[in-house]
Amino acid sequence: MTAAAGPGLSEADFERFREYFYKRTGIRFGETKRYFVDKRIDACIRNAGYDNFTGWFVALRLSERPDLQQDLINQLTVNETYFLREDYQFDALLHKVLPEVLAARGGPARMTGPVKILSLPCSTGEEPYSIALRLLEEWEHIEDVDVEIHGADIDSEVLAWAVRASYGERSLQRVPKPWVTKYFTPVGAGRYQLDGGIREAVTLHQVNACDTAAMRLFRDFDVVFCRNMLIYFDELSSRRAAENLYGVMRPGGYLFLGHSESMSRISPIFTPARLPEGILYRRPTGAK
Amino acid sequence: MGLIRRNAEPEQLQYASIPDLLRQLDDPDRDVRREAALGLDGVAVAVGPLLDRVAAEPVPAVRDAMLTTLAAHDIGRVAERLAVLLASDDAGLRTAAAEALATMPLATPAIIPRLLTNYDHDVRVMTAMVLANLRHPAALTWLAEMIRDDPHPNVVAAAVDALLPSVGPEHAELLQQAVRRFPDDPFLRFTIEAALR
Amino acid sequence: MTETEPEVLVVDDAATVRMYHAKLLGDAGFRVAEAANGLEAVEAALATAYDLFVIDVNMPKMDGYACVAALRSATVGTPAPVVMISTEDQPGDADRAYAAGANFYLVKPVTPDLLVRIARMLTAGRGVEA
Repeated sequence: MTAAAGPGLSEADFERFREYFYKRTGIRFGETKRYFVDKRIDACIRNAGYDNFTGWFVALRLSERPDLQQDLINQLTVNETYFLREDYQFDALLHKVLPEVLAARGGPARMTGPVKILSLPCSTGEEPYSIALRLLEEWEHIEDVDVEIHGADIDSEVLAWAVRASYGERSLQRVPKPWVTKYFTPVGAGRYQLDGGIREAVTLHQVNACDTAAMRLFRDFDVVFCRNMLIYFDELSSRRAAENLYGVMRPGGYLFLGHSESMSRISPIFTPARLPEGILYRRPTGAK
Repeated sequence: MGLIRRNAEPEQLQYASIPDLLRQLDDPDRDVRREAALGLDGVAVAVGPLLDRVAAEPVPAVRDAMLTTLAAHDIGRVAERLAVLLASDDAGLRTAAAEALATMPLATPAIIPRLLTNYDHDVRVMTAMVLANLRHPAALTWLAEMIRDDPHPNVVAAAVDALLPSVGPEHAELLQQAVRRFPDDPFLRFTIEAALR
Repeated sequence: MTETEPEVLVVDDAATVRMYHAKLLGDAGFRVAEAANGLEAVEAALATAYDLFVIDVNMPKMDGYACVAALRSATVGTPAPVVMISTEDQPGDADRAYAAGANFYLVKPVTPDLLVRIARMLTAGRGVEA
């Protein structure tokens, strides 16, 4: 039951931390992640001004210090955004979700209203633009069905970047070269400008996901991508954000969370469904 | 066809009035009730009506929405009413009330002492569940008290589980005493041995 | 332990209870997985065809009854047996468990012998080589 000072947690402390993090986020660290977690926690402990694990851990669990929570999540999660990140979810969108959406809505000939897709948080735009690219390049129904793609974020600075839509090579590393040629214009210094046609196809909004009244502006979405946002929220805020996402969606609508995220720590209002690569959530259809 | 941008005027944000939202809390449509409960976020006059309806609301999704809005009012009146719900026969309601109380570090501490001596051991088990997640330094002290003094082994077990993530050498004697108090409870022995390791 | 041993999902928000039931059942020859609440149990059941579920009643987010109902519903649709474990001993609680789709209802503290015997009985014929 003693805490190790300095880098490297004792076995007992690692277990204790692992259980806490699992309870809070549903994410389990295996032994292989031990070194990574040790280093990150050490950084958290030092950033917070503590000498040892115990002091920091007690503060984390028992005091109102959202900064400790925030730093912990920041340290333990990967924050980088780039085009076609977690691409298997866009595969699922094309091959499973959109076909089901069309079928539920009567097919291209009979459906009324566009297919609506929301990316929230959209950050600097890579996610909604990735969706646009994949639909244009690969969706068989792109010509017969209207699609609205919306991006939303709380941060006006990242939205300004999304509007500008100029990206570096790192952000484009997963984009097939033919697509870069087709949809981007090199503007020097390793940067590429996304063409106006795609930029215009995505509508960007500034919104706080926890603001119920503001989120009411978004209605009848068939698909929502909410990747790597909820994990940063505390218990009450994540519940409210989940409720607001529910309200944004059509009955039967689909919600993608980030790869290692789960609604199991947040709210029971969505119905889980299985994809080969992970879990997808749906707003219940309400049919009894 | 294809990717389209909505060119229509941005929808006017139509704020339903507070009286409308309060009326909608009784709407026969569950989605209307749910959205009304969420829409009353931060509205002080909604606290009473929400407290009056939360126990009787039959649809869990609506009840959860009401609790999400209520729990943000970290005040004594809400904590006291939610504490009453810990005794409910409805497992969903009592666990939801416990969850909500655990997110209220300002108001919940005041009601804990009374709950620790509640005559119903199931309420005391739910109290341990609240303390397991309550962000307050006294949570550990109250859990230690439960372990030391509670007469029911299920309550002591729940308190040990809640204390486990924070257990330290200072708790060793306390835990050993608990094993001695309930020598025939294999689960408690197992749990405390795990805690002492 | 071979891959023909029945696999149990132990569902409880208390880590100590999960550990304890896992040990009892593991020592008795079962493969054991754990879930910390009803929602996680549903997600786990979507990925794996468990042979038995042991589910606590008092859990946040989704209580045991709602969990069993979800496991039995079209979301998962598992026919695998469910043992519910509760601290409650009110008349009607057992009925409620059975109405939700549970096969057995036990009150805490659970006698180790009893849990293992019931688990063996409910999984007889499952996970055994033909």
